[in-house]
Amino acid sequence: MGTDLDLQTPPATKAPSPVPRASRSWLWSLLIGLGILGLIGMVPLTGDISDLHTWTLILMFCVLAQSWNFIGGFTGYAAFGNVAFFGIGAYSVAILLNDHQPFWLGLIVGALIAGLFAFLLGLPVLRLKGHYFAIATLGVAEALREFSAIQNIGGPGGEVSVPFPGAGAYPTLFYVFFFAFLALALACLIITILLTRSKFGYALVAIRENEQAAEALGIATYRYKIAAFVLSAIPTGLAGGLYAYFASGFDPPTVFDVGISVEMVLLTFLGGAGTILGPVIGAIIFEYGSFQLLTSGFSAHNTLLGLAIVIITIFLPQGLVRLVEALFYKPAPGAVRTNRLREGVRRVRRFIAANGI
Amino acid sequence: MSDALSPPMASEGAAFGASATGVPLLQLANVTKRFGGLAAVDDLSFSVCQGEILGIIGPNGAGKSTLVGLIGGALTPSAGRIVYQGQDISRRAANQRSQRGIARTFQVAQPFVGLNILENVMVGALFGRQRLNRVEALRIAHEVLERVGLAQKATLKGNELTTADRKRLEMARALATKPELLLLDEVMAGLNHTEVAQAVTLIREINQSGVTILVIEHIMRAIVGVSNRILVLHHGRKIAEDLPEQVLSDPAVIEAYLGERYAKQHQSSQMIQRQLALDLGSPDVLMGEPEQKEERK
Repeated sequence: MGTDLDLQTPPATKAPSPVPRASRSWLWSLLIGLGILGLIGMVPLTGDISDLHTWTLILMFCVLAQSWNFIGGFTGYAAFGNVAFFGIGAYSVAILLNDHQPFWLGLIVGALIAGLFAFLLGLPVLRLKGHYFAIATLGVAEALREFSAIQNIGGPGGEVSVPFPGAGAYPTLFYVFFFAFLALALACLIITILLTRSKFGYALVAIRENEQAAEALGIATYRYKIAAFVLSAIPTGLAGGLYAYFASGFDPPTVFDVGISVEMVLLTFLGGAGTILGPVIGAIIFEYGSFQLLTSGFSAHNTLLGLAIVIITIFLPQGLVRLVEALFYKPAPGAVRTNRLREGVRRVRRFIAANGI
Repeated sequence: MSDALSPPMASEGAAFGASATGVPLLQLANVTKRFGGLAAVDDLSFSVCQGEILGIIGPNGAGKSTLVGLIGGALTPSAGRIVYQGQDISRRAANQRSQRGIARTFQVAQPFVGLNILENVMVGALFGRQRLNRVEALRIAHEVLERVGLAQKATLKGNELTTADRKRLEMARALATKPELLLLDEVMAGLNHTEVAQAVTLIREINQSGVTILVIEHIMRAIVGVSNRILVLHHGRKIAEDLPEQVLSDPAVIEAYLGERYAKQHQSSQMIQRQLALDLGSPDVLMGEPEQKEERK
């Protein structure tokens, strides 16, 4: 093998292949996402107020999971204290409403404070990795809960009641909240899609996949992580603000409930962390099922949910969306194309085998 | 310091390394890295000239990967200075070094498994020294993949590659940042003869396009064929720095690699050189006559 000859021809390439197109899968995600949210948007047509109430809360969890996805799904930092931003949003709205300020002001102030808090919190905790980060964020949410109770924020023991608008507006207002949460979910969907197509998004995914390699390729990982944390806090704060008005009162254990943080994680992982549609699908399936169980008066409701968590982590660590994606995954052009269905089945079996079942 | 700065000898007749200028691109001055009480790199000084390929070898635990970490920015030196293009970068973060044109590969390939091969390389082009937009980055990533021979596998995921392809991906990702100094940490380890020959060709091509290269290897056979100069590390210290032929016959190097007794037994340096070439694989073996490899037995 003459070296001079080798210098002329690059190894292992024959004819230059055309520059590949960027993936169009985001378009599918957008269409499916719009379809799902559009279908939910028809719920008010049934005219059933209790259904409306249920779906409003489902949409709220949708938003919470979607915003958790920015830090937990894309960046891979398991934040267990995002409920802190929810509580901050809720308290901002409650305090400002009781001070006779307009609702929208409270909403904006709540989102800004949540964002600022995420920034300041991120400075120390985003230097931590893995479990340490999770525990630190968990501690912060718990501390805020205690703080608002002890300092009597908004009322004795942190219990606040928010003036609910006149009784005449009662059913109409439920529609308003429903559509407000729907709009927020739609906004999160669009932000997520823009994120996957942006440089910012690539930086976050690179950090998730391998922070050391990301750093070596010139990504200022620390700054991007903080930005992702803030991005995750703002919609959470908005959702908290909406919830405060919607629930017309709350106490610290409700809006700083660790269970909400856990649900954000669970819903995102059920649907698929780091995917566009994962949090939406996860929230709808899980929360709808949960509400059905709850209203049916089934006493082992929480036990079943716990079981669901175990099953998800064993069988679907990648989430529902990734499972579907795997079926549509194209092998390399040069590779032997076997029957796509068989390939998919084998993939699922390998998946199960790899998880020790 | 003066001998560290000396340019590669004029006798370098090979086609590669022709662009070596003698202008230092990177200088290490008395760099030490301690992990607890252990000095992984101990008072090390050397220079890399613009356009050259400098090989760094040493037995296990010699401090080679620590050195890559120090230059790449993953580690900060306990003492000493690292000067790149006349500026002290000892305390700069890895991402800032990448933006200034220092790229590295990892000894154990670290692909972004959630992204496909093309996207992996795109990340290098999006950030790194060029900071391109998505459209430009896509084009550059494709070009780089063509160059390293991975274009056919662009849509595979990062964990679906063979060892050789993973090493190629490491190089592709580093190249996409458009480096001026490329640190290759054992990119040829675990490859077969054909793959090593391909890697050597690729490294020379990259060097001819104007990139200064630091090749770190555990095995001598690949590095001798590709380097303009070789630096030998042993217990974190520099024990030799010379042309490849000279390094091969350096008693200190032989001792470090093969043990003291072996070095004493074979007093004739010519004999040692031949033996070493056979033991470690000579440049001839590297260049791909498989028969020669069989003769060993």
